[in-house]
Amino acid sequence: MPSARFPIPQGTLDMLILQILSLEPAHGYGIAQRLEQISQSVVQVNQGSLYPALHRLEQKKWLRAEWKQSETGREAKFYSLTPSGRKQLAEEKKSWARLSGAVQLIFHEGSRS
Amino acid sequence: MRQLLNWFRRGNLERGLNRELGYHTDRRVSDLMLAGLPEPEARRQAMLEVGGLTQIQEEVRDVWLTRWLRDFLYDLRFSARSFPRSPWFAAAAVLSLALGIGATTAIYSLVDQVLLHALPVRQPERLVLIDWKGDQAANGFGSWNLMSYPICRDLQQQDRFFEGVLCRAATTVNLSTGAEPSPAAAELVSGSYFSVLGVSPALGRLVDSADDSTPGASPVVVLSYDFWKTQLAGAADVVGRKVLVNQNPMTVIGVAAPAFRGIDVGQVPSLWIPASMSAQALPGFKDQLDRRTRWMQVLGRLRQGITPGQAQAGLQPWFKAMLEEDTRRPGFPRITTERRQRFLASVLTLTPAPQGHSGLQRRMAQPLWVLFAATAVLLGLACLNVAGLFLARGSAREREIGTRLALGASRGRLGRQLLADSMLIALTGGLFGIALAPPAVKTLIAFLPRDTAANALQSSIDSRVLLFAFLISAVAGVLSGLAPALRAGRDPLISSLRQRAGTTLGGVRLRKAIVTVQIAFTLILVTGAALFVRTLTGLMAKGPGFATSSLVEFGIDPLRNGYSRTEASRLIRRIDSEIRASGSTQASAVASFPLLTGGSWNDPMTIQTDQRVTTDRDVNLNAVSPGFFATLGIGIAAGRDFNERDSLPVGRSGRRSAIISESFVKRYLRGRSPIGARIGVGSGPDAKPDLEVVGVVRDISYRGIRDESEQAYFPIFEGGDSGGTFYVRIRGRTETAFQSIRAIVRKADPALPVNSLRTVDEQVNRSLNTERMLATLSGAFSTLALLLSLVGLFGVMSFVVTRRTREIGIRLALGATGSSAIWLVLRDALTMIAAGAAIGLPCACALGRLVESQLFGVKPTDPFAIAAATLLLTVAAFGAALIPAYRASTVNPVDALRFD
Repeated sequence: MPSARFPIPQGTLDMLILQILSLEPAHGYGIAQRLEQISQSVVQVNQGSLYPALHRLEQKKWLRAEWKQSETGREAKFYSLTPSGRKQLAEEKKSWARLSGAVQLIFHEGSRS
Repeated sequence: MRQLLNWFRRGNLERGLNRELGYHTDRRVSDLMLAGLPEPEARRQAMLEVGGLTQIQEEVRDVWLTRWLRDFLYDLRFSARSFPRSPWFAAAAVLSLALGIGATTAIYSLVDQVLLHALPVRQPERLVLIDWKGDQAANGFGSWNLMSYPICRDLQQQDRFFEGVLCRAATTVNLSTGAEPSPAAAELVSGSYFSVLGVSPALGRLVDSADDSTPGASPVVVLSYDFWKTQLAGAADVVGRKVLVNQNPMTVIGVAAPAFRGIDVGQVPSLWIPASMSAQALPGFKDQLDRRTRWMQVLGRLRQGITPGQAQAGLQPWFKAMLEEDTRRPGFPRITTERRQRFLASVLTLTPAPQGHSGLQRRMAQPLWVLFAATAVLLGLACLNVAGLFLARGSAREREIGTRLALGASRGRLGRQLLADSMLIALTGGLFGIALAPPAVKTLIAFLPRDTAANALQSSIDSRVLLFAFLISAVAGVLSGLAPALRAGRDPLISSLRQRAGTTLGGVRLRKAIVTVQIAFTLILVTGAALFVRTLTGLMAKGPGFATSSLVEFGIDPLRNGYSRTEASRLIRRIDSEIRASGSTQASAVASFPLLTGGSWNDPMTIQTDQRVTTDRDVNLNAVSPGFFATLGIGIAAGRDFNERDSLPVGRSGRRSAIISESFVKRYLRGRSPIGARIGVGSGPDAKPDLEVVGVVRDISYRGIRDESEQAYFPIFEGGDSGGTFYVRIRGRTETAFQSIRAIVRKADPALPVNSLRTVDEQVNRSLNTERMLATLSGAFSTLALLLSLVGLFGVMSFVVTRRTREIGIRLALGATGSSAIWLVLRDALTMIAAGAAIGLPCACALGRLVESQLFGVKPTDPFAIAAATLLLTVAAFGAALIPAYRASTVNPVDALRFD
């Protein structure tokens, strides 16, 4: 049973999807599962935000999609990262690192005083 | 754009999405089953997790195509499917807008090409026209904004403001590229011309400053790309070829870039000649280096970041100093103190000139804007018409709209549907309009005057015009859909859902308001057309003041073929007497300047009777051969015509007698005997009034039919006036006379071109080109406008009658007569006509003032024109209203009451 959902802002979800796909191409179901596994069920995406996000990223040409045979033998739509998607991911990671670093600093300073 | 593409492959996208989501659910189900759930339970669980499939699909669709755009496209599709069901409605609406958009696009194409389009040169927005405002104490020739060549040179030194300065003069030369010489339009240019404009050669090189350093030393020409392609078949070896310009050998050094057609859209040169060769290009001209001869237009390229205002202000100190210096130079004319002050008070003005300099622009600017305004009004009318049609259709669709409202559609959504309707109509109309435009532009271009130099106007639709047509189509779509869209669903739901048709008066008031505005617009256009038609007919009735039937004219210019002045005079005299002797002519005479071409030789004059007076404005001058007045049928009011003795040179001044026009006498010699008075050219203290007035003639039109200026004539004499326009009164057929005239000139000199051989009637017509264009087009536009508003009026009145059938039936049943039923309807129509006239007439009068300068012999508030326009409109509108009114009187009371 899914626990209380951790709401993910749209921009963060986009970044997470790009990150998952930077390892290897995957289909929508696979992405959702991997997000859940890696985050140890902290992050759960519902299809209502996953698929619009995938199509949005595809439209922005950060993802490329093709129909391929999946591990179960059925055809599934596999998404993979394009070079511009890779660049985008790098940028988002950088700004995420800066943001979380800044947040850390503030927490740190705040607890000291 | 990508989103729009998605619209067309949305079927594919949908299928893909369904498969994708299906796969997801199935995988979830099988995973849950692996975890131990039974299949039905697993399926239920999976569906629960998904939430709503439809909602996901919707959200993904929003990614493919923004919501409003998607809705709009669905609306458009709905509209496109609904129009074939009411083809007459669609056809009427599309036709209205096609006419409006087509007319506006055609006129805009000309406005764009003549007035707005920047030259195809480097950064045209930095070009300025430099002009001298004030008295230049100089003589000159040419069109407008003229200065002397040395002043252009001085301006080139002002590099604080200018990156470069060029000067140019348009002329016609006799050009021979191997065969017989023929007239060709040429531009005399400073060496800086091409580099300042930033034009590159297509072949060889262009004129540069080395070509323009020493007068007479650089016999070179640059050909235009069009001339090279059409006249020389694009010969690859053209560079280095010898050509003859006015019989002077010159070398072709290059061909200019294909798109470059000079800086005057109305006069495209075939070749460019350096100004240093002006003595060869303009026979008899020796004043290239004279500071007091104004004959060239000067344009500058401002330095980056400098505004025309800054440059203008910055140039004045230098300019003032130059003026002071000029007065001390040897050769500065002796002028009155007063004139000297005017000279010293002169300033330089800089005006942005990204479109170059063109007489056509100057002449056509106002007529074109007037026509553009007229087409805008016409398009507005068409939009109103379509709005009226939509309102009519809207009330027929009331039940459909009511049903949709009842089912939960918002009013905004319905309004958008109606806007989609009108957009579709407008865009279709726009397509037809664009198809209509090129032939219309072609006709329009034919109205423009042209001579040796072609104009650069094209009838093809370029991307700018296409964009314009699209924009006005969209605007027309919004305008014509706005009223119906805002009205959509305004009526209470319940009334529109009621079974019975014809209870609400929905939209009638709005439609009446629309028709009233249409009538006002139409009245403005019809009044304008009446004014222009009266101007044209007035000018045609006035005529040039002499009999034009069986009168033909042609010009020759022997100086351009290498003749000396004396030889040229002798040649003209010989040709004149040959023509006289020919069997196909009655009379022949020569004038040194042609009539009715828009130009003239003009100067102020000094008159000596018992006192010395100078004219307060320029007198139009001409030199004519004996018999000129008799040939043209100009009456001699007093005194005598010139005779052969007047034409012989006497002493240094050459002339000894003059003939003046009646208006000259009226203005300057009132109450004195003109015969025997002495006059002379010039107004300064050094002017010598030494010509004896020997006759007074009736006034004729010189520059054009509107011209009512004072005139003076001198005798043509040998060695003096050496070009000429012949006026020949012919016998028999024009073609025969043309042939014999050509034969006579060819016999005299086979190499001499005959210029503008035509009947004087044709010349009169040419001189009225602008007036004819305004009258014809405004007439056509107002006819269209009238049709549109009559259709509008007819539509709304028919609608009213249908709506009031019951009421009229009851009235008739209760004993009302048929004529009172007619009156019931007509009263409505008359109110609209009267209200329209009350709005339209003051507007027409106010707008009339703006076109006053285009009118002749009629005031903008001309009561006849206004009365005629109002009467025409009222009668026509009355007629359009009479048909539905008559139908009202024939309503059968029984049928009308059984309507429910």
